[in-house]
Amino acid sequence: MRKALRWMEISLRVLILTLLTWLLAMPAFASQSIPVDTGKVTASIVSSHDSVAPGQEFYIALRTELDDHWHTYWRNPGDSGEPVQIDWTLPEGVTAGAIHWPLPRPIPTGPIVNYGFEGTPLFPVKFTVSKDVEPGSVITVISDFYYLVCKDVCIPEQGKVSLPIAVGESIEDIGWRTEIDAALAASPKRGSVQGAITKTGARLDMSFTNLPEGNFSKAYFFPYEQGILGHSDPQIVTRGSDGLRLTTSPDYIWDDPTPKTFDGVLTYEEGGALKGVEVALAVGPALDIGAVAAPKAVIGGVTLWTAIFGAFIGGLILNLMPCVFPVISIKALSIAKSAHGERAKVKREAWLYTAGVVATFMLLALIIIALKAGGSEIGWGFQLQSPKIVAALSVLLFVVGLNLLGVFEFGSSLQNTGSDLTQKSGAAGSFFTGALAVIVATPCTAPLMGPAVGYAFTAPVILTLLVFLALAIGFALPFLLIAYVPKLLSRLPKPGPWMVRFKEILAFPMFAAAITGIWILTQQAGANGAFIALCAMLAFGFAIWLFKRKGALGKALGALSILAAIALPLTVTASDASIVVTSGKTNAEAWSSARVAELQAEGRPIFVDFTAAWCVTCKANEIAVLNKSKTQKLFKDTNTAFLVADWTNKDDVIAAELAKYGRAGVPLYLVYNNKSVSPAILPQVLSHDVIRDAIAGE
Amino acid sequence: MTISKILFSTLAVSALALAAPATAKIATGSNVADMTVTDSNGKMHNLSDFAGKKVVLEWTNEGCPYVKKHYTTNNMQKTQAMATADGAVWLSVISSAPGKQGYKSGAEANDWKTAQGAGSTAIVLDPAGEMGRTFAAKTTPHMYVIDESQTLVYQGAIDDNRSANPATVKGAKNYVLAAMDDLKAGNAVGESDTAPYGCSVKYGS
Repeated sequence: MRKALRWMEISLRVLILTLLTWLLAMPAFASQSIPVDTGKVTASIVSSHDSVAPGQEFYIALRTELDDHWHTYWRNPGDSGEPVQIDWTLPEGVTAGAIHWPLPRPIPTGPIVNYGFEGTPLFPVKFTVSKDVEPGSVITVISDFYYLVCKDVCIPEQGKVSLPIAVGESIEDIGWRTEIDAALAASPKRGSVQGAITKTGARLDMSFTNLPEGNFSKAYFFPYEQGILGHSDPQIVTRGSDGLRLTTSPDYIWDDPTPKTFDGVLTYEEGGALKGVEVALAVGPALDIGAVAAPKAVIGGVTLWTAIFGAFIGGLILNLMPCVFPVISIKALSIAKSAHGERAKVKREAWLYTAGVVATFMLLALIIIALKAGGSEIGWGFQLQSPKIVAALSVLLFVVGLNLLGVFEFGSSLQNTGSDLTQKSGAAGSFFTGALAVIVATPCTAPLMGPAVGYAFTAPVILTLLVFLALAIGFALPFLLIAYVPKLLSRLPKPGPWMVRFKEILAFPMFAAAITGIWILTQQAGANGAFIALCAMLAFGFAIWLFKRKGALGKALGALSILAAIALPLTVTASDASIVVTSGKTNAEAWSSARVAELQAEGRPIFVDFTAAWCVTCKANEIAVLNKSKTQKLFKDTNTAFLVADWTNKDDVIAAELAKYGRAGVPLYLVYNNKSVSPAILPQVLSHDVIRDAIAGE
Repeated sequence: MTISKILFSTLAVSALALAAPATAKIATGSNVADMTVTDSNGKMHNLSDFAGKKVVLEWTNEGCPYVKKHYTTNNMQKTQAMATADGAVWLSVISSAPGKQGYKSGAEANDWKTAQGAGSTAIVLDPAGEMGRTFAAKTTPHMYVIDESQTLVYQGAIDDNRSANPATVKGAKNYVLAAMDDLKAGNAVGESDTAPYGCSVKYGS
């Protein structure tokens, strides 16, 4: 009703004004210029006052009504575009200030993100009338304005309007005054918010403290300048008890000597309305944002202490994950054997096992550090992206399986004299079990480990080692506890013939793991890769048989066979036609950041599944949640797009995307709902309810 | 333990063999990965074919007002002529998807080139947006200069006046020509990274 009245009012004003101007050819006074249609926009200037007094301040605003789905640009237009511009021609004694910019919104188009406005943005400017302007005179304000207006194409439009205003008594126009005041109130002002901006490698953290009341779960920072951050990269929100952190990626400005501060606008929500505050970000160390709340949905960065704690607990839980269980069982068995005998021996074995675990984790950390220093985009489980290593691991698991079955015994090597490798009481046996446990553990990711390992991958060298050490200690702790807590030790079952049977049974999980390895290999290196790995197993089997024979020739042939078994996996190469693991996931399509932007533009919710064939945790989530008809139905009912980013083989684009969310490995699950540009990060162990809530934006 | 030793050396060697530079966004000063592109005459080019020459890449879209600004004022043609006279290869790239603004068939692209009197060496048709995404081309125009050793030495705007108004060409600093001058003088490119301006590249899905 009010709108209709206003329209009638405007139309009448326009009509009368036009008539008056034409017929009387003399200045007419009003608070709105004649609106001009520049094509996709109808523009006019409006004044807070019908008439002004000398010495007074008042506001004139450029008012633009955009056609549906067209947008104009903020002062920093983002990836493309050009800001709205106004040139004023003013009589003597009248001065104009700068534009009070409305709050921008990110507008994604394909892989590009712009900052701008839709609807009816108002651009108020403060005017001052000098005391010397004569009452009774008329000031005519002329506005030359220009804007680029875009939808799928861009059109530069411009116009020129004038507004004569009488000088004398100060008379407000209540209608425009209200609208201009609302725009001024919404325009961001410098508040008490403190900000810092910190670049660490390919990561940019913006930290904010002294925040006003409000909901910052969808906070977004719009820099005034270009080149500071990647406009099209998501800004990941981490809320602390005393502040907020936004994590994104840096742009080119950081290559040159940079200024001390960067200004921009931080937007957030309060009572359902979008608010914004101007913040100066000081270049330098991040501000302390206090304790980071539990990761209900969104968590990006982690502090050193949470990383160490997460790694320790994650390492502990890793013992229960399916990957390591068989190896651990062998160790437990070996300890149980001597549990009721020599305590000193048990302690020694536990320490040697711990040493094996720690050494292997440290070696892994050093390889990671070396590769990262070489500029490689790698992550947790990266070694499994190499089909050579997967082949070697499959063969090794097969060999361990044979050993457990009692087909052959290690010892003073393959000469039938020693006890078997992992049960051997010697130092090497315990140490090796620790090492093996770590290697087979890497396809698994335990809860809490993701952010911790992600942190380790981006942290300085010494901190990387520290986090991996925490992981190693957590992982080895159960055995140290058993060795040092006599009550636990005595609870272990008494040794007996059952142990031999149990050991033999454990061979089958090993074979199962070897089969999984071959399955992964078929996806990485095709049938040829699998064939080569199986040949290596054959060569090993043949070598065992040869070693059991007497005579030098048999031994020599056996040694050759062993060499073949070791060399063959190294010849496996990744095949071009690697299969994308979308099988079993109905309606899944391959992930790309462009596809995400496109779906977001369509307003569809998106579920992104960062996975790999070798990632056991991913497979578990697929079976338990993602492939369930209930979840599939949820995706269908909510029209959620299901995108799969397959990291089975090395992929720098996916690695870089993982790094954006502070992760170094899979799984990572993201949900984009249409309420925010940044996605929610789901926990690594999924549940139907978590997905449902994230899609609903709760 | 021999087996564990072998395993770890395998691990280390293979892991090191995996090391390769990231390709998500090409940093100024880094090498440009080779790729095969198709021009408006259906001819295939490898970027590596141009090693030993300077290469200028220009993202374009006929319908974009910012592209028009530089073609109606003859500024782009002049820049093309000066760069190619200097021995550079000039590739104008169209990454508009079919049905989107600026998309052209080979024949249409050739007609447009003739009509504009463009001095580009070839027009690359990239309707799938592969080349555009590799270079992270955001706008039309978006300019790149690659030196003789296939190192990206400049990326960003064509000049320092970020307007669609043709009158603003005069007096603007042409970053591409400045980069070419720096290379000619044997200096490092002074302004090697600027914010591009213009319409968004009209990528498809």
